Amino acid sequence: MKLAGTVWKFPQADINTGLIRKQMYNHLPPQEQGKHCLESLDPEFSSRAKPGDFIVAGTNFGCGSSTPAHYSILALGIPAVIAESFGPLFFSNCAGGGLWPIVCPGILQLVETGDTLEIDTGSFVVRNVGTGKTLQAQPLPEIYRAMIEAGGEKPYLKTRLARERQAQT
Amino acid sequence: MHALHKILARCGRPQREHVEPGEFLEVEPDVFGVIVAINGTEAKRMAADLAELGITELPLKNRIYAVADHASPAPTVVIAQAQKLWRDFFREHGVRVFDGGAGVSHLVLCEEGLVRPGMLAIAIDSHAPTMGAIGMYACSLGGGRLTLFAIGRYVIQVPKVTLVRVSGTLKPGVLGRDASLYVNGRLGQRGAYNNAVEFAGPFIDALSMDMRFTFANMGTEMGAVTSYIQPDAKTLEWVNRHTTEPYTVHETDRDFEYAAVHDVDVSDIEPQIAVPHAPDDVKPVSAVAGRRIDQAYIGSCASGRLEDLAEAARVLKGRKVHPDVRLIVTPGSREVLKAATALGYVQTLHEANAIVTSANCGACPGLHGGILAPGDVAITSITRNFEGRMGPGAEIYLASPATVAASAIEGRIASALEYA
Repeated sequence: MKLAGTVWKFPQADINTGLIRKQMYNHLPPQEQGKHCLESLDPEFSSRAKPGDFIVAGTNFGCGSSTPAHYSILALGIPAVIAESFGPLFFSNCAGGGLWPIVCPGILQLVETGDTLEIDTGSFVVRNVGTGKTLQAQPLPEIYRAMIEAGGEKPYLKTRLARERQAQT
Repeated sequence: MHALHKILARCGRPQREHVEPGEFLEVEPDVFGVIVAINGTEAKRMAADLAELGITELPLKNRIYAVADHASPAPTVVIAQAQKLWRDFFREHGVRVFDGGAGVSHLVLCEEGLVRPGMLAIAIDSHAPTMGAIGMYACSLGGGRLTLFAIGRYVIQVPKVTLVRVSGTLKPGVLGRDASLYVNGRLGQRGAYNNAVEFAGPFIDALSMDMRFTFANMGTEMGAVTSYIQPDAKTLEWVNRHTTEPYTVHETDRDFEYAAVHDVDVSDIEPQIAVPHAPDDVKPVSAVAGRRIDQAYIGSCASGRLEDLAEAARVLKGRKVHPDVRLIVTPGSREVLKAATALGYVQTLHEANAIVTSANCGACPGLHGGILAPGDVAITSITRNFEGRMGPGAEIYLASPATVAASAIEGRIASALEYA
């Protein structure tokens, strides 16, 4: 599968989950958290980002609290975050939520805000569509890839349970 | 293999003889810790999702513990409604709930003996590694909550292990939390990134259990996914005081190769302070002494134990909190609160005009019990001082409970050495 989208770049290292979505909005319905996404770093981001856009981030993006800050990204219709590296809890939160967390060392040099980026979710090659330059991102473990392709934990579990129940009969 | 890897191998599904750092492993945890959470939409969705999947009985149900530690008792109607939905969900599924006032989950699960050496616990909270101080594998859940409820499984990337060897003896008036802050400053926010961190060395051996929990807790702020301290006689005495249930102490193989080894000597350190907005931006307190403060806060899973309250009471005995400052003390658990009451610490805190709250996460995650206003400056003993954590636009300093108490008296950041 190939995804293509416009890049929003947040190059700072160690953007923690509280900066992605403040804890004070944790109680809001997930769909309403989008308007607060990354507001501490760019107050206009949530109103300007469009469904299908990508976030490109620096080192240790989503470090800190295990709070489901990825809701705010999903609510904007953003399907993927491509980062130099991720906070481990945010990384697995994304997979469970059906949001692609792509680890791609060198991504900050590959694209700028406004560029179009293409991601091949089979080979994990990412390409700056404008310059044609590519990078090999780290492949996701199979279980996470299956989960995200299914659309998150619930559809993944549905398929898995159906398979396991069938095997028992 | 490392002791932590032996725990993961046992909990692997299928069970494994050996695990390799870097591999993604499906595990069945011994304990699944959850929060009586504050998002009502999620509670409704969880119930609906399980129904849709045809799950009527949770496979881990006797090993799931829900703790009302964040924003509890509820500070708003919306949160009260959400917590009610979660309570209903847990009751319906026969999940044991530790309700308001029990304390922070990592303290409660250890004190209740529900987690023990050699176990694997997955708990929804980035500071779950605190429990590693008793020699277990304790990590936070990221994603995967529905899967754990529905089929009792979770995917863990088997971590490499970073060893931090701490040596030295502290000067009088310098506390375990100062040493912990110093180590965090030395290693940095990514010092054990995506690794497990093991704390060892003569300083850790000599440390009390309360302060070992503090060290394990702050492994999270080095980017570690779990923290570990090899059990010794002190650990087992503590564990045996809290449970008669059996447990297993694993040893790390002699030929195990650590991903990194750091040696830190804490002999000459002054009281330490992490300045806004990063837990690894650590300086001697003297570097920022005199900075005006609005709030002082003692508590959290980093420093809300009996020894922490004892230090606060020692500094505050016969003194008063500065009239321009509010000092809030939130014990980490009911056990801590009861012991601190029996020993007279709570009375001392009241005499000093401190606000003593019930046991919970309190103001640390910025949900209630001491939220800061924009422009407020707070000195605290909490886990992390990220921008906006206790309220947008505020500044958070991290220090030992003694430094927080000394600063509360003076109305400005002050060294605890003057109160040693």
